[in-house]
Amino acid sequence: MTVLDLRNVSIDFPTSKGVVHAVTDVSLSVGKGRRVGFIGESGSGKTTTALSAMRMLASPGFVAGGEILLNSLEKPNLLDLSDDDMRQVRLSRISYIPQGAMNSLNPVMRIAHQIWDGIVAHEGALPQGDLQSRSDAALAGVGLDPEVVGDLYPHELSGGMKQRVCIAIGVCLNPDLIIADEPTSALDVITQRHVMQTLRDVQSEIGAGLILIGHDMGLMAQSVDEIAVLKKGQLVEFGPVRQIIERPEHPYTKELISSVPLVGGKSFLEPAGEETATGFRSENGEPLLELRQVSKHYGAVTALHPMNFTLDGEVPKIISIVGQSGSGKSTLGSLMLGFNAPSTGEVRFKGRDINRQSGAEALSFRKEVQAVFQDPYACFNPFYRVNHALKYPFERFGLSEGPDHTQTAMVEACRAVGLAPETVLGRYPHQLSGGQRQRLIVARALMLSPKLLIADEPVSMVDASLRATILKNIHDLKDRHGISILYITHDLATAFHVSDYVMVLYKGHIVEAGPPKDVIGDPEHAYTQLLIASIPWPDLDRDWGSSKDARQGLEALDRLDGHETIMRGNIPGFELVQG
Amino acid sequence: MTDENATKPETAEADVKGLTRAQIRRMKRFDNPWQNPKLIWGLSMLLGIIALGVVGRMLWDTDMVFTGSGIPRQGPVGVENLRGQVGTWAHPLGTDVTGKDILALLIVGAPNSLYVGMLASLIGMSIGIFLGFSAGFIRGRLDDVIRVGSDVMITIPPLLILVVFQAAYGDISLTVMAILIACFVWQSPTRLIRAQVLSMRESGYVQMARLSGASTWHIMFREMLPNLVPYLFGSFIANVTTSIVTAVGLEVLGLGPQRVPTLGRVIYDAINSGALIQNLWWWWGIPTLLLAVMFIGLLLVNLGLDEVSNPRLRRL
Repeated sequence: MTVLDLRNVSIDFPTSKGVVHAVTDVSLSVGKGRRVGFIGESGSGKTTTALSAMRMLASPGFVAGGEILLNSLEKPNLLDLSDDDMRQVRLSRISYIPQGAMNSLNPVMRIAHQIWDGIVAHEGALPQGDLQSRSDAALAGVGLDPEVVGDLYPHELSGGMKQRVCIAIGVCLNPDLIIADEPTSALDVITQRHVMQTLRDVQSEIGAGLILIGHDMGLMAQSVDEIAVLKKGQLVEFGPVRQIIERPEHPYTKELISSVPLVGGKSFLEPAGEETATGFRSENGEPLLELRQVSKHYGAVTALHPMNFTLDGEVPKIISIVGQSGSGKSTLGSLMLGFNAPSTGEVRFKGRDINRQSGAEALSFRKEVQAVFQDPYACFNPFYRVNHALKYPFERFGLSEGPDHTQTAMVEACRAVGLAPETVLGRYPHQLSGGQRQRLIVARALMLSPKLLIADEPVSMVDASLRATILKNIHDLKDRHGISILYITHDLATAFHVSDYVMVLYKGHIVEAGPPKDVIGDPEHAYTQLLIASIPWPDLDRDWGSSKDARQGLEALDRLDGHETIMRGNIPGFELVQG
Repeated sequence: MTDENATKPETAEADVKGLTRAQIRRMKRFDNPWQNPKLIWGLSMLLGIIALGVVGRMLWDTDMVFTGSGIPRQGPVGVENLRGQVGTWAHPLGTDVTGKDILALLIVGAPNSLYVGMLASLIGMSIGIFLGFSAGFIRGRLDDVIRVGSDVMITIPPLLILVVFQAAYGDISLTVMAILIACFVWQSPTRLIRAQVLSMRESGYVQMARLSGASTWHIMFREMLPNLVPYLFGSFIANVTTSIVTAVGLEVLGLGPQRVPTLGRVIYDAINSGALIQNLWWWWGIPTLLLAVMFIGLLLVNLGLDEVSNPRLRRL
């Protein structure tokens, strides 16, 4: 018995460049109580396909062919319904759980009232008591305390709680089908596990079909029964999850699976064959970077507790700083770049406090400390061609010996990061993909040959299949060009492969530090353990645990206040001192 | 070394099969945002008014703006006035109650009105850019002063102050009037630019520029300003409209320049001399029509620029 059948569905978007066939001839079925994952990269048509079942395609898109059958209706073809009938179908038969829960809730309404809204729209006015008991049940179903949460406004909830409220709204009318569009992409792994398990629990309780849209093969493996792989609007593979993960047939599916880095798995970095580049020794024997009692407060909030470490650049190293959002890792990054001044202590580069430098010293500091930021879309000034971002600092730092030299340097840097210069140089940023832009930023860092590179979440906004390539580019900077790198990330698996030393940051404290095979391979601190346990593995035999585990883990975390760093051994050239 | 991603688009490719040639042409026009019909229409209306001033001076005797240039109260060509006199080609748009030629008044007056608006807006924008950047980029105490100052200025009705000032000062030149008006049109560009600068200074490319060792000056004027150009244009045009409305308002009250013909001044004279009761509609009607053309032109330019800078507003 299937809930939803898509038959030869095609979706077109007329644009200025011609008609884009966003989805071509997709046929699949969602069974009752089954979970189907739509996986693909951005632009692959996965959201568009799912939204066509809601008849909520973004203008000017339209369903150009095929049938969408919702079998619980008398006349099942959704495309034949009038707008009013379709309105009745939404939420009561098919519900949608959006990506950004923070923007999906009405900021001026209490949570309970937002649940009532949907009920009243479909069932007419009901007595207050009925509404209250319905919303209480819905909230209790997703593990929120209705007494407390029902009376709150959205801004009083955390991201994970907001997403669970969205799930509560989505299931309050017992729909036949739930469409969840990357419901956890804005959440950290620990919360992600909790929210996904909540969703799975309520879905199996009401017996609805579930379409889960995502790009993370690991999350899919842990959450769904069947996977549909989409690429450029075509369904390239569809089948039970075990078959797809263990015996993928289409090369694209294989690529998607292999692009998920595993802790302890095979490294995606090819071993550097040649002799590795030597690092740098400062003239006065001072270490490259030194943090002395550095802390940062924003008003009453302490983002970073006092921290001491020393990095000498003699042998280039990659130091990972791992933590969830709010752990203070990005604050640390901006302190080391000198964008913010620390509240106490000093950040010293080659023995000089970077916040007390003369103009000339500041310029040479800028030349030697570069960064790669998270968002490749924002890093280029939309007004200029991409060359500007590479050319300007090169000339500004006096590295250029003339326009021809600049041009050659740009071309070489592009080649070194695996970009064909003629396809990227001279273009405007919006003409390039996110992956290309991020590699250009790495190329920029390469051109300037700094001594230290701060990479703040360099791959978190790039499609999965490109992450490994970009990390390899960054790793090459260390191996071939002797640049020391501070890699700031929330992703333990990549940190495991890339780095020489890992520091785990939690609420502004370093809770565990040491070589990655100890810290990530065999964690000792409760927080690190929870982080590792929460990673969704693309491995069906490795269980993610139940929602009870997840809740217990979160509660254990609340009780925790680790001021002691668990030291797991040292590496030469880097020294962390207990704060 | 090859780049397998270089030519591969992320979404399915577009196809142009099955489209008529007219549709493809529309699409091409969509691609070049400057070929915007609203923008083109608006600009041609404004250019038309400037052309009226330039070509008119060459082809028509502008000395006829003086009293007694023709028979008073004459209608436009072919129109009979209350005395039964039919308008002639000597005064194609008729004359006023003192025998001034309406066409000559328009040739001189319309560009004057536009000039006051443009100049006032230009000065106001320059002040706004300077203050907005200072407030948004430097922050701190300066920001507080500029923000509070512009907020207070927004609450003061400009016409009230200008009426008092001009009544006390008497006759003024067009330029002085423009400068006076400029004192009241810098607040909204200041606020707009400050808000944009505040959001832009945290953006990735500004951070990148700081990493590149760029000076504050470079960041403000080479990295940020070019991205503000669409906003600046829009704000400029809106300010021209406000300035012209203010100027015409003053002139219609009889407070503008006394010796220079402007559209507002013509309307003031018409009202004062009982043009409405004598049914001399050409006297007040034609200048009003010209003002309407000016405002519609400015509005269309503003809408057009909006669509140029914000592709989402464009429709196929």
